[in-house]
Amino acid sequence: MRKKIGVFVCHCGINIAGTVDVKTVAKELSQYPGIEYAVDYVYMCSDPGQNMIIEKIMEKKLDGVVVACCSPNLHESTFRRAAQSAGLNPFECEIANIREQCSWVHKDKEKATEKAIKITEGVVEKIRWNERLQPIKVPVTKRALIIGGGIAGIQTALDLANSDIEVVLVEKNPSIGGHMIQLSETFPTLDCSQCILTPKMVEVSKHPKVKLYTYSEVQEVSGYVGNFQAKILQKPRYVDPDKCTLCDECSQVCPVVVPNEFDLGLTGRKAVYIPFPQAIPATYTLDIEACPGVLPIACGKCWDVCEPKAINFDMQPEVIEEKVGAVVVATGYDLYDKKNMAEYGYGKYPDVLDGLQFERLLSASGPTRGKILRPSDHMEPKEIVFIQCAGSRDPELHNKYCSRICCMYTAKHAKLYKHHVHDGQAYVFYIDIRAGGKGYEEFVNRSMEEEGVLYLRGKVSKVFEENGKLVVWGVDTLAGQDIEIRADMVVLAMAIRPSSGAEKLAKLLKVAQDSDGFFAEAHPKLRPVESLTAGVFLAGVAQAPKDIPDTVSQAGGAAIKVVSILSQPELLHSPLVARVNKSLCTGCGMCVEVCPFSAISLHEDKAEVNEVLCEGCGTCAATCLRAAIEVKNLTHLQIYDMLGVYLGGLR
Amino acid sequence: MVKISDVRQEAKRLLEKGKVRGVVGYVPGTRGGWAIPYLIQEAERAEQLVWDPTCVHNLALFVVEEKKEQAKQKEPDKRPLAVMVKGCDSRAINVLLQEKFINREEVVLLGVSCENSGVVDRRKITHLLHGQQAGEIRFGDNGNIVVVVNSERRIFDPQEVLADRCLECQYNFPVVFDYFYGEKIKKTPPAPYAQVEKLESFSLEKRRQFWEEEMARCLRCYACRSVCPMCYCAECVVDPISFAVEPTTTAEEKAKKIKWIEKSPLLSENFVYHLVRAIHLAGRCVDCGECERVCPEGISIRLLNKKLEREALRLFNYVAGTDSQAPSLLSTFQETDPEDFIW
Repeated sequence: MRKKIGVFVCHCGINIAGTVDVKTVAKELSQYPGIEYAVDYVYMCSDPGQNMIIEKIMEKKLDGVVVACCSPNLHESTFRRAAQSAGLNPFECEIANIREQCSWVHKDKEKATEKAIKITEGVVEKIRWNERLQPIKVPVTKRALIIGGGIAGIQTALDLANSDIEVVLVEKNPSIGGHMIQLSETFPTLDCSQCILTPKMVEVSKHPKVKLYTYSEVQEVSGYVGNFQAKILQKPRYVDPDKCTLCDECSQVCPVVVPNEFDLGLTGRKAVYIPFPQAIPATYTLDIEACPGVLPIACGKCWDVCEPKAINFDMQPEVIEEKVGAVVVATGYDLYDKKNMAEYGYGKYPDVLDGLQFERLLSASGPTRGKILRPSDHMEPKEIVFIQCAGSRDPELHNKYCSRICCMYTAKHAKLYKHHVHDGQAYVFYIDIRAGGKGYEEFVNRSMEEEGVLYLRGKVSKVFEENGKLVVWGVDTLAGQDIEIRADMVVLAMAIRPSSGAEKLAKLLKVAQDSDGFFAEAHPKLRPVESLTAGVFLAGVAQAPKDIPDTVSQAGGAAIKVVSILSQPELLHSPLVARVNKSLCTGCGMCVEVCPFSAISLHEDKAEVNEVLCEGCGTCAATCLRAAIEVKNLTHLQIYDMLGVYLGGLR
Repeated sequence: MVKISDVRQEAKRLLEKGKVRGVVGYVPGTRGGWAIPYLIQEAERAEQLVWDPTCVHNLALFVVEEKKEQAKQKEPDKRPLAVMVKGCDSRAINVLLQEKFINREEVVLLGVSCENSGVVDRRKITHLLHGQQAGEIRFGDNGNIVVVVNSERRIFDPQEVLADRCLECQYNFPVVFDYFYGEKIKKTPPAPYAQVEKLESFSLEKRRQFWEEEMARCLRCYACRSVCPMCYCAECVVDPISFAVEPTTTAEEKAKKIKWIEKSPLLSENFVYHLVRAIHLAGRCVDCGECERVCPEGISIRLLNKKLEREALRLFNYVAGTDSQAPSLLSTFQETDPEDFIW
């Protein structure tokens, strides 16, 4: 039996009615075969407009509704809800877009009206074949995976765990804490970074809802929102954390010394080591890359001295599988690579440091116990130059973006330097000062005015060594003169880059990266913590450079987004998914290759669609040479019939 | 030179040992010196195999047909099929492998090299002999073709008698094979796309006129489709007769079948047929030229394929049928793909 279809044409004020004669559209449609009712109204999306649709569905016993209005992106769900409330299957309601695709892009009213009629008639033809579909129900695993154990990951984990959601927190390093634990004091209040972070680290490690995997990496993530399966590789530490008493005997006998990552190479560490005293988990780790070999014959000194027998050379890498319903990416950052900053002598002169190295010099637990000393000769630097935007805001040679935190931490560095070296002079080369945060502007001003830090607006062209001094050639663009400073130390505010593993992780999570390599958010304004992949969220610098307050806020945002998914008993997935006609499928697998969601696989030489992974994009339908796959409610026949209307009749 | 006795011996051995269920090769035709394709199933008949410039057919087609035949049988013979393949035939096999239509274990490939020659164009021979019947056609020295007419031995330059596809061929020996006969002689045709370039130099109007004249002649006999080893779909969009109707197909499904084009050979419908065919062969056609050979109207079907072949090469550096493991052209995307057509 032919469907009874109602057509509702919206004026959208003059947005549509200004260019399209909506009365004519409604009149023409009312005469189109199979149309039971057609009407126009000034704002269909308004309450009276929706009520009119509901009333007419019931009055005329309609079994299909076409609303000719704006893009389905905006009000498709509004009208489908209205249709559903009138007892119609929501997939029997379709939008004919006569605004974005017609009135807004045309001027000639007569032609635009003709086009609007055809667009609407096309959708009428489509709806004739629409199936009454039901949303696909997906069960939900009430657990979340958080990748990265810095402040972003820790905060997300705590917020989730305190919302009674089980958390799997994965950190690639031997301890959680990330970069924040390396910092000395934090702007703008100068509170000690370790002092404010370690309580959170302890809390997350002791929380009954948090499962912590350190020295581990996510290897594989499969599945879909609500039902991900993650494979986590736990690297062997060769030290049993439960037995280790932190006596440090092993480290003392270890003959191998390598640069200490925690101090960014300013100190050395042994092959068996603890990254820092407050490390969590509190245990030593044997770095297999540095160790001469986990065999008693190769060395085995640590094993000999370990009284509690915590050292176990037989530990093997372990792959752990975890089921989770959502994933939060909090992988943070790395500093821009040394080799890119040769013009500033970075990596060549020992007294040219990056921001994080300087943080370690300032830190009370750092290599100099909080004294500012030159790495080369352990003298106190009396003249120090800070260079901002080292690698940032330089689209020609380096990164085009602003790393956002450097203005503030440089002001902090200069201030702290003055606190340590009262008779020293600090210079800061800057392009602009970006201090857009609560109390930030005041903080920078205090550095300039109270501490007498000399701010020079301009770039540095070259840093080189001469007679034991670092000669800095720059320019002061405000005074319009070249400047030469003979400094004892140079600190570069190095650009922030996405963490080195970001690209690999993006691929395995099927999450997009932006042109700079940071994880791409779903919408820059309205969906800043969601990725484009359903169920994968972003927190912290992994998404874009940001400071600690912003990171903590975003972590909380990501947590509530996870809660909003995991708090539901089951998720609903759109039933507008691809379907295979097995009698036509030759099993060539081209659909498998083109599917951007990996939703198709071959089973017994035929394509098979995982309906939960399928987003109904139709790439497979466009690729298949045999027309053996199509999207429900957008079948080949429907497209053919729509084309028939647009081109003037084919059938 | 390919020693046909070696091919015969191997074919015989494979059949005797029961390693294959049959050997598809060329045997002498019933009329004149023209070879025909043949499925040999008895070992003693392997002696009949021939290899000469009249072995024009792309035998990959028989792999497709046999595969379809097998699918219909309840207890099919699972042994592989041996096939004699030329360079172009082997590339067609590669595309079939790439598209997972067949598995490598299903075929034993007896590769024969065209060396510095190729197969002849029957029309050219007929023209040169003024309609006289050739008694025998065989490979001569230096790629020359020897034609025996009324016991008289005539020698032709390959340029005079070889099929256009062979003159433009860059793959004159098999790229995939189990046994190889003859020599791998690298051949570089001087201008493989000369005809395409010539047509492209015409004005739009002249090109339209050219194609209208070509398409107007089409009888829609579908010989080109039947001979093409790539046209193996169960249902063809241009042909409402071949709808895949199964016992489970409901009346509603039958009603939903789309009739994309009219059966009558009108100019517009002929255009749709040939363009759909060409597009469906983009990145798949190996230029075996069989479509053009079998066309009773002598339509330049190859020219459409050749144009798409050149586009695939120019835009994506892709040559069909050279690597069975490579993903197919139209199912891959690279960030470096040209996109200047988007404006």
